[in-house]
Amino acid sequence: MEMKVESGKIIQTKDVSPSGMKIIWQEIKKDKLAMGSLIILVAILVFVYGASFFMDAKEIAKVDFLSIYMEPSSDYWLGTDYGGRDVFGQLIIGTRNSFTISLFITLFTAIIGLSLGLLAGYFGGATDNVIMRVIDFVIALPQLMFIVVVVTIVPVFNVYVFILIMTMFLWTGKARLIRSKALSERELDYIHASQTLGTPHWKIILFQLLPNVSSLIIVNFILNLAGNIGLESSLTFLGFGLPESTPSLGTLISYARNPDVLENKWWIWVPASLMILVLMLSINFVGQALKRAADARQRRG
Amino acid sequence: MTLLKVDNLKVHFPIRGGFFRRVVDHVKAVDGVSFELQQGETYGLVGESGSGKSTTGKAVVKLNNVTSGQILFEGRDLAALSRKEIKPFRKDIQMIFQDPYSSLNPKKRVLDIIAEPLRNFERLSPAEEKKIVQDFLDKVGLSPESIHKYPHEFSGGQRQRIGIARSLTLKPKLIIADEPVSALDVSVQAQVLNFLQDLQQEFNLTYLFVGHDLGVIRHMCDRMGVMYRGRLVEEGNSDEIYDNPQHIYTKRLIAAIPDLEPEVREEKVQLRKKLSAEYESSYSTFFDENGRAYDLKPISSTHRVALQ
Repeated sequence: MEMKVESGKIIQTKDVSPSGMKIIWQEIKKDKLAMGSLIILVAILVFVYGASFFMDAKEIAKVDFLSIYMEPSSDYWLGTDYGGRDVFGQLIIGTRNSFTISLFITLFTAIIGLSLGLLAGYFGGATDNVIMRVIDFVIALPQLMFIVVVVTIVPVFNVYVFILIMTMFLWTGKARLIRSKALSERELDYIHASQTLGTPHWKIILFQLLPNVSSLIIVNFILNLAGNIGLESSLTFLGFGLPESTPSLGTLISYARNPDVLENKWWIWVPASLMILVLMLSINFVGQALKRAADARQRRG
Repeated sequence: MTLLKVDNLKVHFPIRGGFFRRVVDHVKAVDGVSFELQQGETYGLVGESGSGKSTTGKAVVKLNNVTSGQILFEGRDLAALSRKEIKPFRKDIQMIFQDPYSSLNPKKRVLDIIAEPLRNFERLSPAEEKKIVQDFLDKVGLSPESIHKYPHEFSGGQRQRIGIARSLTLKPKLIIADEPVSALDVSVQAQVLNFLQDLQQEFNLTYLFVGHDLGVIRHMCDRMGVMYRGRLVEEGNSDEIYDNPQHIYTKRLIAAIPDLEPEVREEKVQLRKKLSAEYESSYSTFFDENGRAYDLKPISSTHRVALQ
């Protein structure tokens, strides 16, 4: 008996399969690019969220006619814009705003897409049909038109409204992705087994199906996060983004619509553009590593 | 005592087509099947792929919708019950799945897999639950330490045993074994089969054993039914079917069992040729004009054959 316990223990220490987190960490460690990106990303986020604590957003948004279009100096590290506002301060607050917006849009679309996608995929049939037709309808709507109209008619246009309207349109892709995965999973015997074991539907969806689509969700979440940073910026650039009182990376870049700023006052828009580039690229590289971690055949580590 | 009585069971799947995806026809996967299971026996369902044997098994656990017919379990008609009403019966009827690779959730530990039915039906403390799971693991010949492992750390045979342990935890009366060994290699097959027989004696189980391997069915089953195109064509004690097949399909099926002795090879070839000729000539005695097998007719007290 003791022998058996002994051997069992040895096997256990040797054979315990690595947890998901460990696999992801291995993969990121193996990929120098992803590792570097992760460090840069964390550094930027910690700095931006940390620094914005000590900054007064109102102070930064305040117009000061005595210091218009000043070049970078020791007073204004990245110069000032046409309102005499500190570009460095706007960059910090803007990065924070843009990232927060992107994070929440991604989060909300993930929640909606996940629940509807799982329901449609698991139940199939009529449920699937109804949900998919709703998705088709949302996709058929002219998105940009809609956004422009909403931006024009809402009385107060702020971060929350922006998150809401973007979420309205962006959940569809996720729902479709999750649905297709759930459709193929529900045909597997472990789902049938749970059904014959008397497990209720909601439990099967949450505890059997969800863990098996989770790798897909995580990867998609990260890659969408990168995409949504650019999304906010491009809309703001078009003039339908956030008002200037809430600085974002997009507002800084949109100053470059003025040819004079574009040509001579590089300090206003170049830092913000670089910030977007760096953020999107580094999130993407980390996302790629996660994607490989989720698929055993592509793993390097 | 009759535990399960399947009466004129039909499972039809709609074929949709045309402009509005209307139902244009039906696939008659199971088309009027009737049989009975006595307490403690093993009943085999054999047939070729697509003959409806698995569908019949799945209909009993309600994985398929029943088009018509009755499934009487201890006198209650399962086919007429809703999903909610059937829940108490889930405890008594369990299923062993064909593919040990897809029937265990890859993201769950063995403890969670085997304890799933317990959590649905019984309120147990984690310690009690663990004890029961370990007991059953021991019973199916796996080390009780394996509760914290994931399914992919086991071989096919071991996985199938985990599946079997899961189906036993609620102490069911009837187990539907849907080709439980066809995904395993031969040496492991024998192991799992013998072990299923041991469990049958220990827990007084009744098996509905679905399979296509005639050797396995003969080894396991007291009585058996031969299915062809969704119909039962012959039913009787295993010995009757193997030694005295009456239906032409059963005859051909049994003649198809490979013989290990090379001396009788020529003889076997002749037998198969003869049966093939008989099949051509006497087709109308066994099948009607639509290719549907006739209803079963008793030819002895236990043996029934689908004849005109």
